[in-house]
Amino acid sequence: MADSNSEIVVIGAGPAGLTAAHELSKLGRRSVILEQDDQVGGISRTCEFEGYRFDIGGHRFFTKVDYVRQIWREILGNEMLTRPRLSRIYHDGKFFDYPLKPLNALLGLGPVEAVRIGLSFLRAQIAPAPRVASFEDWVVSRFGRRLFEIFFKTYTEKVWGMPCSQISADWASQRIRQLDLLVAVRNALIGSVATGQGEVVTSLIEEFEYPRHGPGQMWERCRDMLSEFGSKTMMETEVISVQHARGQVTGVVAQQPGMPEYLIRTDQVLSSMPVRTLLRCLDPAPPESVLRAAERLNYRDFLTVALIIEEPDLFQDNWIYIHSDEVQVGRVQNFKNWSPDMVPDQQKTALGLEYFVQEGDELWSLPDDELIALGTRECETLGLASADKVVGGSVVRMPKAYPVYDGTYQESLTEIRSWLDQIGGLQLIGRNGQHRYNNQDHSMMTGVYAARNIVGSEYDIWDVNVEEDYHEERDSKNLSTSGDRLVPSRIEIAPLERRIRELYARIDPVALGSAMGMMTGVTLFLATVVLLLRGAETSMPNISLLGNYFLGYGVSWFGSVVGLIEGSLAGYLLGWSMASLTNLVMRIEERKTFAAFEAGQMMNLYEADES
Amino acid sequence: MNQEDQNFEIEEMMLQRAMVRLRSRALSVVCGLLGGAILFIATIWLVIRGGYPVGPHLGLLGVYLPGYSVTWGGSILGLFYGTLIGALAGWVLAALYNRIADARAIGE
Repeated sequence: MADSNSEIVVIGAGPAGLTAAHELSKLGRRSVILEQDDQVGGISRTCEFEGYRFDIGGHRFFTKVDYVRQIWREILGNEMLTRPRLSRIYHDGKFFDYPLKPLNALLGLGPVEAVRIGLSFLRAQIAPAPRVASFEDWVVSRFGRRLFEIFFKTYTEKVWGMPCSQISADWASQRIRQLDLLVAVRNALIGSVATGQGEVVTSLIEEFEYPRHGPGQMWERCRDMLSEFGSKTMMETEVISVQHARGQVTGVVAQQPGMPEYLIRTDQVLSSMPVRTLLRCLDPAPPESVLRAAERLNYRDFLTVALIIEEPDLFQDNWIYIHSDEVQVGRVQNFKNWSPDMVPDQQKTALGLEYFVQEGDELWSLPDDELIALGTRECETLGLASADKVVGGSVVRMPKAYPVYDGTYQESLTEIRSWLDQIGGLQLIGRNGQHRYNNQDHSMMTGVYAARNIVGSEYDIWDVNVEEDYHEERDSKNLSTSGDRLVPSRIEIAPLERRIRELYARIDPVALGSAMGMMTGVTLFLATVVLLLRGAETSMPNISLLGNYFLGYGVSWFGSVVGLIEGSLAGYLLGWSMASLTNLVMRIEERKTFAAFEAGQMMNLYEADES
Repeated sequence: MNQEDQNFEIEEMMLQRAMVRLRSRALSVVCGLLGGAILFIATIWLVIRGGYPVGPHLGLLGVYLPGYSVTWGGSILGLFYGTLIGALAGWVLAALYNRIADARAIGE
């Protein structure tokens, strides 16, 4: 095994890794950057196919961190363009403004749908769900079920791969913009609004900065600058192991294709590789429990089908959200509208069809040509481009694009961090390095702080707080000090809530009605038949009095059949009414119980009853 | 949607749609106790009030309940019949309700 001199090792040439190396270079320190892929930029790379450049997702450049903006300028100078933003939603063959504008939405949906939406909205207001636990509950309770189904359900489920009924309502309240109807109407009428601090609400930003040749241009330029400084970026280099001893990093073993493994001696490693992968690479290996915690971390993956289309202008949007479930594509990027320089031939257009997938699933595993065919078909289905105009295509798969915040990730991450904290010289940076859904500027700052820590600063890189209300309005009581970008988490029904629901389970009115109907009808029938068979004349006049209520009933064979039918009907009505009324009362009681529970009074609920 | 998601959704859906199931034995005991007590007390009440004839209308139950009459002895028999019929009715009601509710839940 070859052995190089001691230097600072940066694992991963994404925004975090390259920014860390850039910051180190400003501090006069050289580093070596190890990148497994053949391109720099991580998820912010810009890929190229026949001269057409396309991104992995869209990457608007805007930040409220001056230092990040300064870095962008240092790297790209005047290559940053200011671009107009237009994004719309595609649903049922029509386009709707995004962010949603009520007037535009209602006009697009038509009068019949508008009435349905109105009725569904009224219903949600008059009879709200007893409990708002899920994303679905939250949106339905504010907009009604119809609007939820049109504008929220399909896209959310495509992106996150889980039903809206399982996504926590907290995410909806934090993530969705302008769900206050008054705010939405005001925005529709007068455009962008100012916040209390006089800042334009970021979600309504109508323009953004963007490198002339895509975000990859920034990171390619950064790599070149680092190279000029003397910091090497080793491409297609796999990290075999990260060695440590006596609580200190000692080296990194890496390997390039077809080459022998080599050791880089170092006492400083900045890792932006996925936490799970890093833990697998540590030598000696962490305890079994820490490895298990790492294996519990999950990711959402992503693939882009880039299509070259022989049309100069397809649509004006930067991107379009696809809310229709007739196609699998979730979002369509028009890279020419991000920057005209992304397309070498202005008579053509490059589209990026984005599919949110799970590594190894059916879509992920499809061969490239089938994915291109699928993208072409879906483009035509959506009416965006005719299939015969597609002159080329390419596929890029991006594993681990989004860290998943599931029910166990926080616990797992805490365990991993507390163990990794014992290894001196190892700092975790970036989105996958920290398993946090960072924006690009957030990732960059983790790299900046980690670099400064090497020369003596004491930043807590886990506490990078870029801008909490960065994208969306957020509920102040739910603000995270970490500055995390919001990711939906799965609802966890607490045992107590579950018990409450079970406690107030409804009586089935149809079942009780039917059971009582059968019993009443059969009883009356048998009672009549017994009298007829026994000839008990003294009883007959009495039971015949039922004829006052049951039309046509009498103690006769015909009457027994009438009694069977009408007795059944009467019994059904009685049972159904009993169940329905009981359910109504239970629903009121359940709502009261949940209200008490949510108000944190559950602990003394029973005590209050006893007093 | 993966298996875990599917299971969660099914579980959640079941919980949302959960309908009460009646316990046949419990309803049978309750209806039996009530039925027996009602017929026993109703009979004794008429016997104590006296008059002639004693309880002519309630006595018509004798058509359906062999041996029953509005007398002290009949009250004991009424207790037995009331309990028996009440218990049977309660059990049948619960069984029928549960069968129908189950069938409807599967149908959904």
